[in-house]
Amino acid sequence: MAPALQATGITKRFPGVLANDHVNFTLEKGEIHALLGENGAGKSTLMNILYGLYQPDEGEIAINGALTKIVSPHDAISQGIGMVHQHFMLIPPLTVTENIMLGQETTVESTRFLGEIAVLDRDKVAGRIRQLSREYGLEIDPEAVVADLTVGAQQRVEIVKALYRNADILILDEPTAVLTPQEADDLFITMRSLVKQGKSIIFITHKLREVFAVADRISVMRSGQMVGTVKPAEATQEMLAEMMVGRKVILQVDKEEAHPGQEVLKVEDLRVQDDRDHMVVDGVDLEVCSGEILGIAGVQGNGQTELTEALTGLRKTVSGKIYILGQETSHDNPRQITEEGCSHIPEDRHKHGLVLSFPVRDNLVLNTYYHAPFSEGPELDFATIEHEANELVHTFDVRTPSIETKAGSLSGGNQQKVIVARELSRPVKLLIASQPTRGLDVGSIEFIHRRIIEARDRGAAVLLISAELDEIMSLSDRIAVMYKGQILDILDAKTATREELGLLMAGVVKESANV
Amino acid sequence: MSDTTTALPGPVAAPKKKNRLQQIVDVLWMPTLAVLTSFLIIGIVIWITSGSLETVFKAYNGMIRGALIKERGLSESLVATVPYIFLSLGVAVGFKTGLFNIGVEGQFYIGSVAAAFVGQAITGLPALIHLPLAILAGAAGGAIWAGIPGFLKAKTGAHEVITTIMMNYISFRLVELLVSGPLKDKHSTAVQTAPSQPSAWVWTLYSIPERLKDPLNALGVALFVAFIFYMIGRWLISSTTLKQRFVGARQQNLASLIFGGVIGLISFFVLPLLTSAWWPFQDKYDRLHIGLILAIVAAVVVWWLLWKTSLGFELRTVGANTNAARYAGINITRSIITSMAISGALAGIAGAIEVLGVSACHCLPMFFSSGYGFESIAIALMAKNDPFGILAAAFLWGAIRNGADLMELNSGVSKYIISLIQALALLFVSAPELLRTIWRIPASKGTEGEAVQSTRLGG
Repeated sequence: MAPALQATGITKRFPGVLANDHVNFTLEKGEIHALLGENGAGKSTLMNILYGLYQPDEGEIAINGALTKIVSPHDAISQGIGMVHQHFMLIPPLTVTENIMLGQETTVESTRFLGEIAVLDRDKVAGRIRQLSREYGLEIDPEAVVADLTVGAQQRVEIVKALYRNADILILDEPTAVLTPQEADDLFITMRSLVKQGKSIIFITHKLREVFAVADRISVMRSGQMVGTVKPAEATQEMLAEMMVGRKVILQVDKEEAHPGQEVLKVEDLRVQDDRDHMVVDGVDLEVCSGEILGIAGVQGNGQTELTEALTGLRKTVSGKIYILGQETSHDNPRQITEEGCSHIPEDRHKHGLVLSFPVRDNLVLNTYYHAPFSEGPELDFATIEHEANELVHTFDVRTPSIETKAGSLSGGNQQKVIVARELSRPVKLLIASQPTRGLDVGSIEFIHRRIIEARDRGAAVLLISAELDEIMSLSDRIAVMYKGQILDILDAKTATREELGLLMAGVVKESANV
Repeated sequence: MSDTTTALPGPVAAPKKKNRLQQIVDVLWMPTLAVLTSFLIIGIVIWITSGSLETVFKAYNGMIRGALIKERGLSESLVATVPYIFLSLGVAVGFKTGLFNIGVEGQFYIGSVAAAFVGQAITGLPALIHLPLAILAGAAGGAIWAGIPGFLKAKTGAHEVITTIMMNYISFRLVELLVSGPLKDKHSTAVQTAPSQPSAWVWTLYSIPERLKDPLNALGVALFVAFIFYMIGRWLISSTTLKQRFVGARQQNLASLIFGGVIGLISFFVLPLLTSAWWPFQDKYDRLHIGLILAIVAAVVVWWLLWKTSLGFELRTVGANTNAARYAGINITRSIITSMAISGALAGIAGAIEVLGVSACHCLPMFFSSGYGFESIAIALMAKNDPFGILAAAFLWGAIRNGADLMELNSGVSKYIISLIQALALLFVSAPELLRTIWRIPASKGTEGEAVQSTRLGG
């Protein structure tokens, strides 16, 4: 049987870059084929070629054994290739049905004579959506408005949209990047049922754990080349990581015993409201000492975001007190808190951490531009700023064509390195790191973890907030679990188990802790 | 193969720098093509509607002669350019902070009336003090008038588009009230303010030799020249090998200060003699005034403010990403109010210069409607808020506006067609794809490189 899709010798050059170098890729019918690679390895270029967004300079593509050319996304769809992008292409105020029929509207027969303004046949499309949804076990309500759906449900809409257009080959571009672990598990079940019905799936990711959970075969790309294809049973995480990065990767973080010193951050009975005036931080008490990492574990949305914002001055506190090195900062603004020696790696690097339209250079002095040596009188001292920027780009291994490059055109990992470089470039007494490695590749994660531990070893107090339990467990010295705005318990990281933490994260408190 | 992302150790070498001329050509050629294309398209429209190709040539011939060639043509184009420059600089400062200041027209009005008042009410001051004072009064009026919407935006979130439009109407009626009431010239039948003192007039270029005979005026000019050469000095030092000679900002500053001071001193003695011996502007009726020089200086100052100062950094950060600005500890409230005030001050200066330099009575007449303010929003957009781009775009607007009358006279084509030319030019500049499609220009290397870069580095 001919493979569902076969790409042979695909080469794509961009000025100065060989994005794909004679890449071979085969997708068998009815398989889930994971495509692994760091950011910039050429995965997206290859997929854009398969989806008709780029034309290859060399090489050929065969679908079901027949050579073909894919000239546009429209052409790709008509040849049975559907793509679910990382960022959804849905229109929030429209219903699921309307979104799915968009661009391929079905109209009521009797009104067709009206041409373009014929009445839309929503019921017929909704019926077909229900049928697809039953057939593949994709639970969606055709009448629902997309804006009201969870991220996971929106993703299902995207998949149904592709199926509605009769896609046999589905390309899922980093589909789990936006999902919670539970939603990701649901997605994997869906993917399994899709291939059972004869669909073939290309699953792009850089999370190693996921490929073992769902893939039938795994291909790894690096520097524009296909490094190899393996079966999950024959591979280990370490081996895949090495294939991706090109060198040995330490997945386990090595760190010395913590030597906690004086108390740096003290939080007393803190209460904070969210934007809808709900009390989402409801009486939190914390202490973090210099030289230790306190991890805050918890399912997202349990008040971690608001806690971080309150600590860093971005959100008003309702009651309670925050002290940094004995100084009360409960009502200070971000600048005052920064000047107390607090560094903040924010949760959302695009929203708070960077100005994407500014060059790397400016982003590296985003919160220090106003004082010496970067400012002299009213003027910025660009010579000093550039010198500093070059230094930081070098020390923190930020891969950027130059310090003049806009932050927005760097990869996520390098963007995060810019933030880490900036925040760790000044004397740090307190580091608040919120989701510091979300959405990053293995190499960047390793790098940033090492830097956080270095900051600890130099005597900084570190508060680490992360939704990734692995990250919390491997970095922290103590682990606090946050649930519904409260700290349920604080455990010693050396003895805490995954099960114990998981129960706390779900709000289950042990008898002993209750007393 | 060696230069793919993962293999790179640290930062990649910067792409080869183009020489300065090449850079200027790169920046200018698309807008130029946009303007030429709009003239071409409107030419075709005129051709079709009038039915003769000759009309097109007559029209454009008239426009070019009116704007550039006829007696005082170029001067009058420049006279119209001055308010455009100040106003669109004001709009641009707002834009850079993420604020849409639609109210420059109103701020222009308030600036005019403030300058008219200071110009006529205070007597006995030398021009050296009176003129700057009157212009500052205009700036202050505009700054306060724009500061109010800025304050409302920062404190209550009231959108500046709505509030500045409302402030526009308030200013129109307020100025009418003042001009017909308390400020009305009692000795004149016309409804206008009393003429301002000659000491507050914005000098025409023609009057400069006469003005310089007063040593106080010569001193003023010398100070201004000193300031200009101080700026030139700093630019020279920072962009040449002189940088190695003067180490540190303080030394560079001192050197430029001495440079500017010496040239200022020389000009204090030489300029009055030179101008009385030889002066190119001998046409008494030529209205071209020193506001043009002020406008060019203002463009440089705005550029410096936005790109070289920490205040500008704050304003641009607020404009580009308010959340990140808050994170960075920038006071958003203060930035918004400051930006609006600067924006309004520039608009107010435009009003002051119109009253003190262009208005025939050197006063503010009842109906001073200009429309400069609204067109300046288009100019700022066309120039993409670049202060030097604004100089060019403002001149284009001024020249087209000035050439329109002779075009109509010459060809019978309605002068209102110029707004179509301007609109098309704006459209083509803001949507370069449209222009590329029309002329079948492949995406330029620069933009393609950028796109590739994002794909490459974005994975």
